[in-house]
Amino acid sequence: MGIGPASIIGGGLSIVSGLFGASAARKREREARKERKRLQGKLNTLEANRQEIVNPYQDLSSMVSNPFANLSVATGAAEMQIEEADISLANTLDTLRATGASAGGATALAQAALRSKKGVAASIEAQEKSNEDKRAAGEKQKQTQLMAEAQRVQEGEAYEFGLREKREIGELDRTAALLGASKQAEAQAQMDQTGALTGALGTLGGIAATPGLFGNN
Amino acid sequence: MDNNKNLQNNLFLKQFNESNAIAYNKNFLANGSDYNFQLLDNAYRNAGKIYAKLKIAVENNKCESEYCSIELAQIKQLEEAPQNSLEFLTSLMAELSVTEEPNYDPNNNYSFTAANSLMSGKPGFSRTDGYNAYLDLLPDGSQQIVFTGPAFKTIEQDPFTFETFEIENPLIINNSSLIALLESDTSLVVSTPDINASMLKLLPETGLFAQDQVNEKGELGASARITEEYVMMNADGSFDYEIIDIGNGKGRNTLKFDMEKINKKVAPFINAEVAGLMSSEQDVIAAWNVYIAKGTSVEEDDQMAQDANSGNEYWSYESNLPLAQENKVLFEIKYKEYFMENYLKQFITNQVPTVKEDAAVFDLAEAKKAKAQKFLADNNLN
Repeated sequence: MGIGPASIIGGGLSIVSGLFGASAARKREREARKERKRLQGKLNTLEANRQEIVNPYQDLSSMVSNPFANLSVATGAAEMQIEEADISLANTLDTLRATGASAGGATALAQAALRSKKGVAASIEAQEKSNEDKRAAGEKQKQTQLMAEAQRVQEGEAYEFGLREKREIGELDRTAALLGASKQAEAQAQMDQTGALTGALGTLGGIAATPGLFGNN
Repeated sequence: MDNNKNLQNNLFLKQFNESNAIAYNKNFLANGSDYNFQLLDNAYRNAGKIYAKLKIAVENNKCESEYCSIELAQIKQLEEAPQNSLEFLTSLMAELSVTEEPNYDPNNNYSFTAANSLMSGKPGFSRTDGYNAYLDLLPDGSQQIVFTGPAFKTIEQDPFTFETFEIENPLIINNSSLIALLESDTSLVVSTPDINASMLKLLPETGLFAQDQVNEKGELGASARITEEYVMMNADGSFDYEIIDIGNGKGRNTLKFDMEKINKKVAPFINAEVAGLMSSEQDVIAAWNVYIAKGTSVEEDDQMAQDANSGNEYWSYESNLPLAQENKVLFEIKYKEYFMENYLKQFITNQVPTVKEDAAVFDLAEAKKAKAQKFLADNNLN
């Protein structure tokens, strides 16, 4: 046997060529496996540490309120008006007593005072009615705004979902492609290895059937 | 053996194998070289005889053990031995061939380089040169390969006479140990990851470049530029240029980059890349020793006969594994520096403006004056 791998390994040329083919395939298999592990580690870290997606449509409904919800009725002026009417009535009655005016004048005065008080009550009622109208209008506006906000939030969720979906699908596709490629390379290398070794084993193996195969005995 | 000696031996073997010096060695030319190591022939020389004896003993019921249990076990071992030998040699040759890779870390044990030289029949590693190799079938069913010769000797010193002498230090590798190593995804001889290829792939992944500048292979095109999102702007939306002196009183604008933003953008991708590498700590040490520790540029390495290695900053496979946390952190920091210095720098240095008018060469003195006047005007200093 001449100089070369065959004389180093021994066992015949087919064994040696099989061994060399198989060792090259084994190396490719190990490289593919290593690459797969590296890529998997890289993708795991990318997935674990990716930035949060900021939803630009965050829920602002808590900020929506009815500005007319708690309007108060301005009763201070009305009470003052009633007091003034009472004082005015008392003063006029004093004057009437001093001047000896008739009882009919006092009745007219009392009726005037009553009319004044009724007017005040009507004013309060009008204010209350106006406030109620404003409150209802405000409530309607609030509901409209809340509906709009809910719709906007829904759009935001859809946007966030879409973005996440797009990104995740992209990464998953990439992971699958990378893993698929490295697994395929690994499997191919394993097949190459088996093919190469099968030929070599055919020469070296089969000792059960041919006990004298080994060496020169 | 100290690491310097190991490094020297590895580099010497590498240069010896790569050089054509042996062609000019008259002794080598004049004398034949015997490469007949005949690993398999020698290993199985007596196996057939033993197998036949065992078979006869079993068939004639003349076994030494009760129920022929030992004899049957030995027959099984012998039947499986050829396949095991082939798989052992396959794995061993695949591992040893790593020593021939261009970016092989010479901090690996040099005896692997010598063993590979022997197994691949390199000149200077023949029986005539004092080398030998044996494949042994061991009684426990495992197998071992033994390499001996000048490269597998160590020099020792007598503590009393201070005389130096060589002692045999053969490289012995057992098949079951090797298979256990490989099955746990640990290499006997570590292959250095191709950091340059990884960093080239990393560039377009960082998101600093527009997608239309990345080709279908995931590589950056020749005219790739970092997107304007990372370029410094003035408050009025115009580009904030840096003026560079190009000689003869002339100057031109170059883009200024927002390095804080760039660093923030690339950091997660670099972290992920490093995390991927950390899936094999052996690889991290190899990458550290060959590329990262010294932080030399790709160009500097190209200009040298031998890539710069880590020198005294090397990490040892024997004593630095498992990697300490501080080493992991240091690796990540230096990896990022290497990436920024060797791969990103070209995209952030001397970048001509994208606005055509701003890209023109101009008179430097006038430009400086105009800039000063603008500053005064902007700050109401006139």
